[in-house]
Amino acid sequence: MANTDTEAVVTVRGLHKRYGDRTVVNGLDLDVHAGEVLGLIGANGAGKTTTVECIQGLRRPDSGVLRVLGCDPVRDAERLRPMLGSQLQDSALPDRLRVGEAIELFATDRAHNGDDLLAQFGLIERRKAAFASMSGGERQRLFLVLALLNRPRLVILDELTQGLDPAARRDVWAAVAQLRDAGTTVLLVTHELDEAEVLCGRVVAMRSGRVLDQGPPADLISRHAPWAMIRFAWSRPGVDDLLADLRPLPGVQVVATTPGRVEVRGTRQSIAYVGAELVKRGAVPDDLSVELPDLESALLHLLDEPDTPVEFGRSRNIAKTGPTDHALAGANR
Amino acid sequence: MSALSTSTATRLIRTEFRLTFRDPLVLTFVLVFPIVTMLIIGGSFGTTPDPSFEGVNPSHWYVASYLTVVVAATGLVMMPVHLASYRERGVLRRFAVAGFPRWSFAIAQLVIGIVTIVVAGVLLLLVAAPVYGIPAVHDVWRVVAGLTLGAIGFVSIGVLLGTLLPSARAAQAVGLLLFFPSFLLGAGGPPPQVMGSALRAVSDFLPLTWVTTSIRQPWLGIGTPTGTLVEVAALAVVATVVAVRRSAL
Repeated sequence: MANTDTEAVVTVRGLHKRYGDRTVVNGLDLDVHAGEVLGLIGANGAGKTTTVECIQGLRRPDSGVLRVLGCDPVRDAERLRPMLGSQLQDSALPDRLRVGEAIELFATDRAHNGDDLLAQFGLIERRKAAFASMSGGERQRLFLVLALLNRPRLVILDELTQGLDPAARRDVWAAVAQLRDAGTTVLLVTHELDEAEVLCGRVVAMRSGRVLDQGPPADLISRHAPWAMIRFAWSRPGVDDLLADLRPLPGVQVVATTPGRVEVRGTRQSIAYVGAELVKRGAVPDDLSVELPDLESALLHLLDEPDTPVEFGRSRNIAKTGPTDHALAGANR
Repeated sequence: MSALSTSTATRLIRTEFRLTFRDPLVLTFVLVFPIVTMLIIGGSFGTTPDPSFEGVNPSHWYVASYLTVVVAATGLVMMPVHLASYRERGVLRRFAVAGFPRWSFAIAQLVIGIVTIVVAGVLLLLVAAPVYGIPAVHDVWRVVAGLTLGAIGFVSIGVLLGTLLPSARAAQAVGLLLFFPSFLLGAGGPPPQVMGSALRAVSDFLPLTWVTTSIRQPWLGIGTPTGTLVEVAALAVVATVVAVRRSAL
């Protein structure tokens, strides 16, 4: 994987955007560094798409400072756009436009060889196919090809896998992983958190047009969903003794039983202590399982917290915060 | 205007040209419909010069009128539906974000609209020639001026409608609503001399009537309607200025 350097490809400070009476982006700060895949995540209506539309120069901010590759996205649009490769949410190509013709239309003088890119993304056999005849996955891969065609310095992908079936999503993910591994700077907008977790080196979580928290997905998970759930079957006598011994173990928060089964919720460290206790008893269950929360659990937990943005570069101390219902639901999946 | 932008416009025009002639709406409504209706109407009133047709052969009267049916079909139906469809589906945003300058798409549409009118007009005359004959053109420059200004005006109206109407369906509905009265009262229907006063008043008010008059009269040698040509020129200028201002990607 390519290393991320510190050059800021995108710098956003204090971005505000309103549609009528509705504030969509509310004082947003954002940085995208060269060579990283940054995920902009949040629920629908969080302001993600409006933010990237301002970055692309498709919308004029009400206030704030934006620099994209050294350009003002609105004032320098003609200079900036050839340096961007964009896949837009809810956009299309003309139905009767063929794949090869799309390459011809969008390719500038500095474009890659279109056939090479089509081959790389598995579309070379579809060169003569009309856009209307392509599957959802093929269309998204074509948009990726077009986004990369003119050797962009920044690739912006907005809801890339929306509406795709699981197989098509995996195809598109593999294509983005190729970009990531080649060191391309990518701004990925998504509300599919598994996608962000798989593809992004860093994510920025948004709500109501503001940044709630940001960092590598693993860091967000450990900050906002720092628990684990251990489950096993227990049919031996002495279950009450076992529960009594598990409850005081370091990090254990909740111990519960259902007939024949035990569930332990606690910190990540509690996994080791519970395991050691079972080993000490000489009774390691065959079906012992540990479930760790994912980015979705972390975001759901984050969204349950008061509407206070986290300062850049600082994490919250929520080690003593127990899992919420949402988060537990995530951990239970 | 940089070389890169010029090349962008060229690529857009080339692509739009291909797509236009793959579009069933264009093929049926702009190319076929005017020919079929001209063949029917042009053969309905014989070839004997008739006072109702300003003293000329009715078939020739219609041949000289039907070029503007092509103009109206292009400007009132093809262009609005095409553009509204692009806007509705995000195609224009895709062009914009790919660095296509705003003017390049407007230029492409103007060129495609004019080319479509020329191609459909030539086809119409090729079909008319062996059936009704092509009437002699008395004043070529006035005919060319009327047709050129009318085509620019109606293509601009089409671009304007395409930027105002929210969807392809809306554009089709409004376009057809504008097209058929214009077609029947301003070009391909009964001659003004047989219309009642109310219909005649409506007909005189229609931009397509101005364009048809500015072409038909100098073509058939039945008048030199300078005032009407000025109206068509004004229509072309106003529609083009407003369309260019509205054609935001």
